[in-house]
Amino acid sequence: MSQFEQVEILLVEDNPLDAELTTRALQNGGLANKLLWVKDGQEALDFLFRDGEYAGREDSAPRLVLLDLKMPKVDGMEVLKAVKANERTRRIPVVVMTSSQEEKDVAQTYDMGVNSYVVKPVDFNSLAELARQAGYYWLAINRTPTP
Amino acid sequence: MNLFGAIARSIRLKLMLVVLATTLAALLVAGVALVIHDLTAYRQSGINDLLAQAEILGLASAPALAFDDAKAAGESLVLLKAKPEISSAAIYNARGKPFATYARAGGAVPDFPRLPETDGSRIDGNHFVLFKRIAQDNEILGTVYLRADYKWLQRLLNYLGIFTAVTGLSLVVALIASVWLQRVLTKPILATATVAREVVEHRDFSLRARKTTQDEIGSMVDAFNDMLVEIGRRAEELSASNRSLEREMAERLRADDERAKLNAELEQRVAERTAQLESANKELESFSYSVSHDLRAPLRAVVGFSKLLVEDHALQLDAEARRKLDVIQSEGARMGTLIDELLAFSRLGRKSMQMSDLDMTELARSTFGGLNGQVEGARVEFQLGALPRAKGDRVLVGQVWANLLSNAVKFSSRREKPRIEVSAISDEREHVYFVRDNGAGFDPRYRAKLFGVFQRLHSASEFPGTGVGLALVERIVLRHGGRVWADSRPDEGATFYFTLPKEQVHEPV
Repeated sequence: MSQFEQVEILLVEDNPLDAELTTRALQNGGLANKLLWVKDGQEALDFLFRDGEYAGREDSAPRLVLLDLKMPKVDGMEVLKAVKANERTRRIPVVVMTSSQEEKDVAQTYDMGVNSYVVKPVDFNSLAELARQAGYYWLAINRTPTP
Repeated sequence: MNLFGAIARSIRLKLMLVVLATTLAALLVAGVALVIHDLTAYRQSGINDLLAQAEILGLASAPALAFDDAKAAGESLVLLKAKPEISSAAIYNARGKPFATYARAGGAVPDFPRLPETDGSRIDGNHFVLFKRIAQDNEILGTVYLRADYKWLQRLLNYLGIFTAVTGLSLVVALIASVWLQRVLTKPILATATVAREVVEHRDFSLRARKTTQDEIGSMVDAFNDMLVEIGRRAEELSASNRSLEREMAERLRADDERAKLNAELEQRVAERTAQLESANKELESFSYSVSHDLRAPLRAVVGFSKLLVEDHALQLDAEARRKLDVIQSEGARMGTLIDELLAFSRLGRKSMQMSDLDMTELARSTFGGLNGQVEGARVEFQLGALPRAKGDRVLVGQVWANLLSNAVKFSSRREKPRIEVSAISDEREHVYFVRDNGAGFDPRYRAKLFGVFQRLHSASEFPGTGVGLALVERIVLRHGGRVWADSRPDEGATFYFTLPKEQVHEPV
């Protein structure tokens, strides 16, 4: 169980290819060592609230959640809502990384307390650069309250 | 019943009253005058009669007095029997002693005056009294005394009786006359009034009062009938105009009904169409959402994994394989741009506009300044005229300028001296803004295709671009109620025009 103690970045992404590309981009930036990829919102919630297959894991929170919006079962909005509604998880920075450029999605996630919203570019170089910058910013530059 | 009220209401009674009062007044005046005259005459004639009688008696009794023959004097007095009104008489001698006396038979024994009075007559109650000297050759022989009835009251009463009878008779005649007068005078008046009432009741202005006389009432009836003719004519005109008004009103009401029906239908159709549009809009939204998400994800994988292929397996690939992978990557990236622009274009249709007063000169200048950084605008000769202000959405109109100016910069970039001119002309309805360049221009035969989405008149290798910019321009200008068009010849530059209305118009659906 100690493997999850190490988790710094929780990547919530239903598309395995996108997940692989994002992981690869973070790797290129030297940030993917402590990354956990979960394939949908339900698994993300299970991990964050130590439920389901993560029921027994130690009580530690990731330092960053990269969240896709459009996912089967539980979508990103619901994950965001649950994270920001819970006292223990509300301080975890959540960055929405999505293909959606819809203004209403941006507004809605901000209303729900998202910490950042970035649109995934099609171009891999751009995506890699963006993932690297986001990871670097949230993990190295940004200060979060100590849990 | 109040008599005065009745008189006030009835000409008939008034007439009768006038006739009776006149008759009565005339009779009264005449009667009183007659009575006064008669009583005066009666008194005068009574005195004259007595005077004559006394003369005769004096003459007759003079010898008897002269001879002191009382018997003869008495016989003269007895003759007075023929005059029944004389109640008593006496003859006094010169010494004033009664000489002979006479009293009317059947009367009371008269009281003779002891001494004769001086000559003259007087009225003593209901009697005339007269003394008359008997003289002969200037010698007074004696005095005659006469006393006669003075019956003025009797006469007066007689007259009153006659007067009453005459008055009664006259009044009856006057009454008959007034009844006749009423028939002559009030009947036509009442008939006219009846006609007037019938006119009022039945609204029949064709009724006429019958003219029976040629007098003032006759002319009143004429005037009344003339008035009826006039009123009838007016009423006819009025009802004719009323009828036409009613017809008009009915037509208007019918038209209103039809209009209301049409409006309701129209509203219904608008509502239906709006609902259709809304659902179409929703579909479009979900479509563009899936385009932006579902279409980009596989594209990203294609581009990303071909990149990973190059990165991870470069040693196994020869130059040709790497070239083909480069093509895959660049075309994938281009498709990503196309998708982005298509989404921007579709979002534009849904974005609500914030209308404000725009300083177009400033907007064009700052937009061009923004381009200068990206494009090689530094060597472009930029001529900006004074542009009229316009109403519009600042961001959207700014995009129009950005697209037109960046096109102008792009297509004139191969000239030695690129020149861009921006100016405007206005008419009473709209402002026409234009951007003119000395660039590559286009073949005017394909003018219609200029503003279509993804329509390009130049190859991407010649001038880069996706073909969305001008479609965006047209869409924005149309939403503002304006028009766009362009003019050009190949290699002679192009002019792009767009208009903005002076009056703000409703956004076309």
